[in-house]
Parts: sequence; structure tokens; C-alpha cells
Amino acid sequence: MTTRLQYENNCEIGVFSKLTNAYCLVAIGGSENFYSTFEAELADVIPVVKTSVAGTRIIGRLCAGNKNGLLLPHNTTDQELQHLRNSLPDSVVVQRIEERLSALGNCISCNDHVALAHPDLDKETEELIADVLGVEVFRQTVAGNILVGSYCTFSNRGGLVHPHTSIEDLDELSTLLQVPLVAGTVNRGSDVIAAGLTVNDWTAFCGSDTTATELSVIESVFKLRDAKPSALVDEMRKSLIDTYV
Amino acid sequence: MPRKPKKHSHSLRHRLVTFSPFARSKAMATRNRGATKVIEKPKLQNKDLATSSFNGFKNNGKDKTQQSGSSASSDDEEFEGDVQADFVFFDPKPSDFHGVKVLLQTYLDNLQWDLSGFVDLILGQPTVGTVVKIENDEDDAVYSVVSALNLGRYKDSKCVLELKDYLLKVCRDMDVKGKLKSLVGEHVQDVGLLVSQRVVNLPPQLLPPLYNGLFDEVEWATEDEPTEELQSSFRFKFYLIISKIYKHKSADQNGGTVKNGEETLIYNRPEDEIFFMLSSWSFSFPSHAQQVTANELKNYRPMGLVMVVEASKISSFRKQLHSLIDE
Repeated sequence: MTTRLQYENNCEIGVFSKLTNAYCLVAIGGSENFYSTFEAELADVIPVVKTSVAGTRIIGRLCAGNKNGLLLPHNTTDQELQHLRNSLPDSVVVQRIEERLSALGNCISCNDHVALAHPDLDKETEELIADVLGVEVFRQTVAGNILVGSYCTFSNRGGLVHPHTSIEDLDELSTLLQVPLVAGTVNRGSDVIAAGLTVNDWTAFCGSDTTATELSVIESVFKLRDAKPSALVDEMRKSLIDTYV
Repeated sequence: MPRKPKKHSHSLRHRLVTFSPFARSKAMATRNRGATKVIEKPKLQNKDLATSSFNGFKNNGKDKTQQSGSSASSDDEEFEGDVQADFVFFDPKPSDFHGVKVLLQTYLDNLQWDLSGFVDLILGQPTVGTVVKIENDEDDAVYSVVSALNLGRYKDSKCVLELKDYLLKVCRDMDVKGKLKSLVGEHVQDVGLLVSQRVVNLPPQLLPPLYNGLFDEVEWATEDEPTEELQSSFRFKFYLIISKIYKHKSADQNGGTVKNGEETLIYNRPEDEIFFMLSSWSFSFPSHAQQVTANELKNYRPMGLVMVVEASKISSFRKQLHSLIDE
């Protein structure tokens, strides 16, 4: 299920929110509409937490996370850190990291198993990502762009990348990430995928300028048409893997 | 192209051409980020005539750009520490969607409305309206947009309905409200919404050709549009303008006057002052959108201003704007 929404007349909702399989972060400010749209979709399944990061509303671009953990930039305040630690489930490790490139959401793109990282991230940061998020980290570029976190978004089921990604790059990334990938746009031709779209395994939110064609591409690559919350899917997957062996 | 002798080199060399301390501070804040490279050179070129589909219009277009081309090129200046820009005027087209939308973000203050639909209306009117870009710009960024939309023609679209409701809601002035109601009610077919938004530091030398272009296009549209209905939709009797101003905080208490010789009203855009003087009626309302306030503006409150100007006053506006900018 994909929902179209706006944040104060702005369709770049991936900037003001962060959605994972275990929690959802939403920026403070704007009208209550933004928060309540997320609540309506997710409230029964995962916590929806209103927060700011480093005193700003651009939380989606400053932090990176998945169901295992959440990474915050060095300029996150102590109160914000405490608030997040209190509001998120105990299984989620919340960690503030010292990294020069502080817009972690623009530098890191991840799902629950794999992460793509900006080629210039520190070695310690890469290790922290692997530790806190429980993922395998690959330094990569997407269509020649080093801001991998901005130009590609992927969940455990599929991914969407910058429209100018070549077929070879698509294949290479798909092999690394082990999910099907498609090159496309969001918000009526915008190539900054992660700014216009935020997605987890069973639901997605995109800006209201997104056309019906873009929406159908999103729904098909992320397999959202008959998706259920991932807790159930994980149970199924465990039993399936047993039978493969 | 013939070049007239430079008239303003000394005045433009160190001082930016602005009309108030506020505009100057805003323009300086955004301009000084520029490289050491090149120069401000506003220059007109032919509009993208490929997108216009009326033969009569093409000839008129060429004549117009030739005359205004020579007057604009007289403004070629050389100064250091500024960015060179060759501005080009184009007809609005669908690919300008994102650029125009960004310029119109705060058009109706912080109201959540069908802005995308509104932008589509502007882009769907290639014959009346102009988009200003920089020549050979890789980003294809939009620096200014002007258009005139007939409110009656689009009265059923969601964005226009929301716009009307918003105007009626923010109008607190009771005598003016009646006039506003009749304007957007019975007389809606005669009303043109004049949309004009631009980046803060757009050179003011571009304003006369920009507005001249718009009003000329409106006139040509009354003859060149394919159907009689469309032709008459451009015979505006009134222009409705929504813009922003700064009002001194103590202006209301002291009965409209302010001590210390400070201005009661500061206009964000120079043409607004002329429109205000020519307007038949207007009202202002407090603005809620978050804004960056310069130190000089700490005594001022941001307000929205809605004005109605009769179409017959437009030629006077054009003359006054020309003399204001060319000072």
C-alpha cells in the first residue's frame, strides 16, 4: 500500500521522515496531517515517533537506520538522543556517531541486511554501521553520484534507483544487495529518490506529486500490492530457508 | 545588435539597484556568494517561438524582442565580484513544473492547497506567461515566473476554489470583503489573477520587459486565441494581485503614522508600490509563514497584500515602472 502525502506543501517527504520495519520517525512542525497519515497506516504495528535531529526538521536526511539500529550525526542534541532511546523499542540500538559527513541519510542507504555507503566515509564509521545496523557494508556510487543515500532507496524486497543508472550498474547493485532493482523517478520526474519516497517491507509513502505511473512502478518493485507487516513474513522466511537446506 | 552608450555605469558599479534598505540587504546577502568571475548582463533574446502556435503571434514576438533587446543591451556593465547571467525569456512549458512550483511555495502563505494544480494551470497557458531562465544553464533553473490567469476560465479547478476561499477567509476588512465577494462571484469572468514571483536578487532591469511582455501577450491573446471564448477570456477588466509587504508594528496603533521617520509600509517588490497607488481597493492580512527577518526589519510585521487594479490603469503602470527602474 502506498500513500501519497505532503509536508507543508512540500512533496519531499523522505526529507522529513524515516521509515523502517521497526519504527517510524517523523519531523516536528508542519500540520498534524503529516503525523496522522503515518499514524493511520502504522500505529498498530510500529511506533511513530515525532522528533527533531540537531534541532532541524530534515531528519530523514540526517539519520540512517533499519530495524536493528539507528545512527545519528554528531550534532544531535543529548535531549534528542534520550528521547529517541526512550521512544524506540529496546531491540533498536540508537547510536550517535562522530563522522565528518553528518548527513547520514544522504550517505548511507540500507535495509535490514545490506548497506550502501558513501565512498568517503571513515573506516570507523563503516565498522559502526556494520555493528549497529547489523549489515554488510559496500562502498558504492549510484549513477556516478556519491550520495548513495539520496539517489537510491531499497527495502528487503526491492529497490528504486536514480533514473540514469546504467543496466550494468543496476545488475551489479542488484547482485550486491540481493534484491530486484529498478531505475525510476518519484514526484513527477524528480531523480532524488530517497527525498521523495520512504519505504519499508509492507508500506511506502511518497510525495503527492508522484504520478500514477511512478506509483505503479514503486508498488511493483517493492512488492507492496499484497504485503503484510514483516514480522509475519520473517516467520515464513525462516521456515522456507530451513527447507532449502 | 546596436548598443546605446552606457548610462548607469557609475551608479551600478558599487551600489545595487534596489529601492529600500531592506531590499538592498536581501540582495546583498544573496549576491555576495558569487564567484569572482563575471558580470551581470541582463539581455533579452527571442522567446522560445517553437512553443507558440499562432502565426500572428510570431511576428509580434519578433518585433517586441527587437525593440526591447536594444534597450536591455544598453545595460551591459562590467563590475567585479559578481556573477554573469544572460537571462532568457521563455514560454511556460510542462518541464518547468518543479522550478515554478518552488517559486510559488509561499504564494498563499502557509496554506496547504493544490499548488501542483495551480502550477499546471500556469504551464498550460504557453501563450500568456513568461518563465525567466539563464542561458545554457545545466540545471535549467527558473528564476522568475509571470502569468495572468482568468479566474472565470478556471473557476471549477480545485486550486482556484481553494484560492478564493482563502482570500475570503483572510479578508478582515468588511467593506472590502463585499467588493471581493462580487469580484470572485459575479464578475469572475473579467478578473485576471496576476501571478509574478521571482528570486529575490533578480536584476530589476528585467522588470519592465517582463511586465511589458506579459501585458502585450494578453493583448495579442485577445486576437490570436483559436476560439472566441478564449479570446474574450483575456479581455480582463480587473487584475487581482496577491503579494507580500512589511508593515511597521506600531502603524495601527498610532492611527497609520509612524514616528522616527520610518516607513509605514515596505514593499518587497518595487512594482507593488506602483500597483498599490493605482489600485481600486486592497486589503492586507497578517502572514504566518516562517520568514528570515533582517535586522532592519525587526520593527516590521510581514503581511500579505491583495490588490485589485483596473485594466485601464495598466498603461500608466507600464510607464511608471519604466521610469522607476530606469532612474
